[in-house]
Formats: sequence, C-alpha cells, structure tokens
Amino acid sequence: MDVTQEFVADGLRHAHYITNERVETAVFLALALDKPLLIEGPAGAGKTEVAKVLAELLHTELIRLQCYEGLDESRALYEWNYQKQLLRLQADEHQGLHWEELSEHLFSREYLLERPLLRAISAPRRVVLLIDEIDKADEEFEAFLLELLSDFQVSVPELGTVRAHERPAVVLTSNRARELSDALRRRCLHLFIDFPGIEQERRIIELKVPGLDARLAGEAARMVNAMRKLDLRKPPSIAETLDWTRALVRLGVKELDTPSIRATLGVLLKHEDDRARVEAKASALVARPR
Amino acid sequence: MIGLRDALLDFIADLRVAGVRISVAESLDAMNAVAAAGLLRTRMREALAAALIKEEPDRAMFDEIFARRFAGRSEAARDPRHSRGGYDGVAGSSGGRSASAIPSAVRNRREYDDDDAPPGATPVCKPARAECDPVQGPAVHDTSASQKPTADDGEAEPSHDADGTASSPHRSDSAAEASTDGHDATGAETELAGIEAGRAAKLRTIERMPFASYSEVEFEAARDALAAIKRRFRVRVSRRLRIAKAGRIDFRRTIRASLQHGGALGDLRFRARRPRHIDLLILADISGSVKYASSLMLEIAAGARSCFRHVRSFVYIDRLAEASFERSHLAMTPTLDLYARSDLGRVLAELWDRRAALVTRATVIVIMGDGRNNRRPARADLLRDLGRLSRAVLWLIPEPQARWNTGDSAIRQYARAATALIPCENLRELERGLARIS
Repeated sequence: MDVTQEFVADGLRHAHYITNERVETAVFLALALDKPLLIEGPAGAGKTEVAKVLAELLHTELIRLQCYEGLDESRALYEWNYQKQLLRLQADEHQGLHWEELSEHLFSREYLLERPLLRAISAPRRVVLLIDEIDKADEEFEAFLLELLSDFQVSVPELGTVRAHERPAVVLTSNRARELSDALRRRCLHLFIDFPGIEQERRIIELKVPGLDARLAGEAARMVNAMRKLDLRKPPSIAETLDWTRALVRLGVKELDTPSIRATLGVLLKHEDDRARVEAKASALVARPR
Repeated sequence: MIGLRDALLDFIADLRVAGVRISVAESLDAMNAVAAAGLLRTRMREALAAALIKEEPDRAMFDEIFARRFAGRSEAARDPRHSRGGYDGVAGSSGGRSASAIPSAVRNRREYDDDDAPPGATPVCKPARAECDPVQGPAVHDTSASQKPTADDGEAEPSHDADGTASSPHRSDSAAEASTDGHDATGAETELAGIEAGRAAKLRTIERMPFASYSEVEFEAARDALAAIKRRFRVRVSRRLRIAKAGRIDFRRTIRASLQHGGALGDLRFRARRPRHIDLLILADISGSVKYASSLMLEIAAGARSCFRHVRSFVYIDRLAEASFERSHLAMTPTLDLYARSDLGRVLAELWDRRAALVTRATVIVIMGDGRNNRRPARADLLRDLGRLSRAVLWLIPEPQARWNTGDSAIRQYARAATALIPCENLRELERGLARIS
C-alpha cells in the first residue's frame, strides 16, 4: 500500500478522528519510516484512539497489549502451554521415545501460546500493535521492548530468533506516570496530544453528538476548556465531554445555565473536590466572554 | 549553494546547543522524515519535531529555532537577510552559532544549568501558551487552525543568517507579517501548545531551577509542581519495594491442586509477593541556606508515607525537632530558633541518644543539608556508628558541588560515614536522589 500524507489525512477524517497536521504528519511518518510512534498526553486526549483509527485506516487487525505493573515476558510475548506439554508427555509415556525426540515435539510452535507481541511479529500481514500505557509497566519490561522496537525480532531460546514477516505499525501510549527511558524515546517518533482547543472540541462534539444545537456545542466546548484550566485533579476528557453533551441532549437543555451545569457536573468531574471547585465558579464559567 | 542536508545539520546543532539531546540515529531519522514528508514548511516542521523532540517542553524551543532557521517564502522575500532564495548560503553564516543565535529561552535555560547562575534569575522559558484567566479569558488557540491554509505553508527555506532577533516563536516579526488572510499565521506553531503542554513546560522550568535561586515566589511555584513529582516518587518507590515478580512456588498448594488432575503438576501455585520493609528516618536542615530544598523533600517524602513501614521526619538547625505536615504546612515540635547557627554535631548527639527508638537494620537515614557546621565539632563518629546500625545513610546536598568542602563545610568528614553523597541542586536532582532510597 502506497502511503502518503494525504492518504493518512483522508483516512483519519473518514474514521471521524478530528485531527491536525501534527498528528497527521507523525502517523504518516510512523508508517512511511516503519518507526514506532510514542504518543504522550493527558488521559482522555485521544491517544489510544489513534491506534484504533490507524488499524481502520490500514484495514488490518489491532493487537493490543495493555501494560500494567508486573507485566512480564510471559504475558506479553509467549508462554509454553504447560498443561498441553504434560498431556503429551503422558501420552508418549509408553512409546519409549528418546528425550531428543520428545523435546523436539514439546518445544515446537504447537505448544507455544502466543501473546500480543509475538502475535504481532509473526502475523502474516502488517498489523497495528498498540502497547497501551507503557508508563505503567516496569522499567525491566521497557528494556525488554528495546530489541523488539529496533529490530522487530524477538528471541525464543527454544525456537531461535523470530523475525517479523511484515513489520507491524507500533503505537505506544503513555500518561507520564513515570519518565520513560531515553533509549526507548530514541527508538520512537514522538507525538504529544494535548486536549483540543475550543473550536476543535466543538467540531468533535458536533460530529459525535448529532442531536446537539450548534450554539450549545460551542458553549459546552468553551465551558470544558475553562474547566481544564482550573487545575483540577482530573480534568474532563474528550469522552467525558461527549457524555456530558449527550446528557444535556437527553435532559432537553437548550442553553447552559448554572442549574443545568450543577445538575450534570457528575458526568464531567469524578472527584468531589473538583466538583466543589467548579460549582463555586459555575456562574462565572457560564458568563459569556464579551 | 548550501544543501538542505547541511541546513538540517546546522538546525540540529542549534538544538543541541540549546540543550536538546539528539543522537546520531535521531539525526538520520530527521533526514528521512524530511525526505518522506517533503518541504512544505508546516509538514517539514512537524516531521522534524516528531523525529527530534521527544519531550514536549522542548517543543517551544524547537519552534523558535525552526522559525529562525527555516523562514517561509513571504518572510524571506521581505527580509533582506533572506533575499537569496533557495539554499544559497549567506556568506559567513553557515553553521555559525553566535550567542545571539541562541534563543532567549535557551539562553535563560542554560544559565540555570550553570553552577554560577545568578541568584534570583527569573525563568524566561515560559509555556508556549499565553496564560489567561480560566474564567474570564477567552484567549485560547483554535487547534483546528492548522487545517486552514496558512501563509507559512510555503516551502521551507533555510535561513542561514544566525542573527535571529525574534524572542519568541509565537511573536516573531516574520510570523506576524505573514498573517495575510485573517488567520494567525503562526497558528500551527501556537495551536498545539495547549493546556497540558503549558503545564509540562512550567514544570520543567521549575524542576531545573537551582534551589539557590529560589525566593518565596519560586518556592510556591515548586510546591505547585510537586504533585507530579510526589506521584512519580510514590510509584517508583512502591514498585521498587517489592521482591520478585511472583513469589516462590508454594509446594503445598501446588500438590493439593494437582490432586484434582490425578497427581499431574499441571497447575503451579505461587506464594504471594511480600513487600520489602524499609523504615525511613529523615533529617532535614532548615537553616536559611537550604530551607527550600528541605521543605520540598519533606513534602515529597510525606506523600509517600504509605510506601514505607515507618517514616520519622526531623528538622534541625542546632537542635532536633520532629516534623510533620499539617494542612500542607510544615510543623515542628519543639519549635526551633530559626536564627540559630547550624550545629549538626549536637543534633547527631541527640539522635544517638534516641537511637534505640529510631534506628534499626531496616532504617534508611536520609540527611538533607549542606554540612556547614559553623566550625563546631562535626561528630562524624556518631554518624558512622548510626550508619553501622542502619541499612544506609544517604546525604542529599543542595549546594553546588564546587562549594563542597569550602569554608565551614564539614562534608569531607561526614563523607566517610555516609553511604552516598548525592548532589541535588534542583527539584529534578532531588527526585533522582530520593529514588536512591529504594
């Protein structure tokens, strides 16, 4: 497939991902240069969505590895099917096979449980590999990823080195819960996705919540943008903005006012102190800029 | 005729001078990225940024240097310095990087990196987005601006005249002039410097500022920035204070489970993980010279109390006082005379008297101070004995390393008794130093 920046831009638009040149260029380069794309930004800004949209764009499978504390190779790369190997041993018990013959069988691909990384590498066609929230994984796992991200190959001691038939398009996301190593950053292209501005968020709302009045969509976008600047514990994400505007539609709100904001604040803000802070400023937030 | 490759190499060299770490591999990536993305100015800028900028706070600096190195056509046409279109170099400018070629933000940041940064220096490396009142201020950049045609969408032209005068990429003359159709010509440059990017830039500025430059204003800014550092420290410590990923095999439970499968050991059972136990004993000097560093360290440690078995925090000047945080303010019992002269020797003697209650083999003693003892007895022997009773003694020193062992500093005497002396001149180094605890 011949990838051009226009192809990427059109693909993102078709997938209803409202974007900008920075995102388009980074995604295009990740595909054109076969480099992993590291996406950082606040939670709920649309990082994971990029990988989903990319899979849609390439008409291919998305393989997702959700990182967490304690994630290790056996969960991420492969694991031997111990139970199946045991059954095989018991079945062969009376056939008098030598150890060499047995081990040849027992450590073949038939007994290998492929986890997301190995699945992505050994896939017959190009897939999208999403390594989500890499900052939640341990540093040891991050170091383990380095071989994969630079050479797209992994070593399975019993089978040798497995190389990618088709290099997967790799997307890593991070919420910056901890600093990632320079070695990992060096191997990736970098993209920072921030919360959208008022106009971009208005367009997202209009696209995803069709029943909403255009003026109300603009007001909602402005309101959420102002809330994000209040240094809240958890600023509202785009998904929460959409939920909120859907709630406004269901409640029949035609214009944002203090009571309607107070009534629906729970959809946007998930911490009590955040709610208290915004409620105290609700009337000031509602006041339109002259 | 200067080629694009040379222009890019000069650009990369400028970024390196500005403190952005760029490897050779990343330089090659940048060349390939430009080859793939083409020379349309905004695309080329985003391609270079994706390949070269791996931390968002560097982005403002990148934009500033890019705006100077690769002027748009309209700008080049207006500015006599850029009158020779194409890639023909201006004599004597190729690769030249005079002091004035370094952006103001960069110059300021480098000042902070120097040991002899003037106290009270004010950071200029501001977040790229102009701050405004969240309630009143409508000054928010439209992030969709880049999708509109902008005046700087012409081909990028390397500007080899290093005499850049623009102090900010967002207010450069060229960008302002290029605004021809009512759009913000620098839209693409400003649009993405959003709320979080601004916060990240602020955080980094304060993280790199030496404690010696702090006034109350910077101290409050540092406290505001502390939430992220506290969270990272907590995550790091809680991860580190664990033994192996899975516990050892629990044979009893494994054999019991195997009975269900006719005795085949098909289902291995493991013991639960157990955390390592560490007790933390903190001694923080709150005399004038190091009070900011000490307060911040105590606050970070207080945020990670739950990660340790016991945490005891003390502050000292000439005596020892137990420290705690009440409603985010440091409280001490008994109250110390803040105008007293530091006497760590006496403090160590007090600590030695209370060692039975405070120090065990699981205790890590963390000292924050400059070791300046006003030429009083250092009592390093007591520190050595405390070190023998404990797991480790880590000494964090907020003073520039060049000043250690000068004047009334007794660091040389204490150095033999401490497990490690860790320089921590700013918040970033403090975070790294505290990470050594685990």
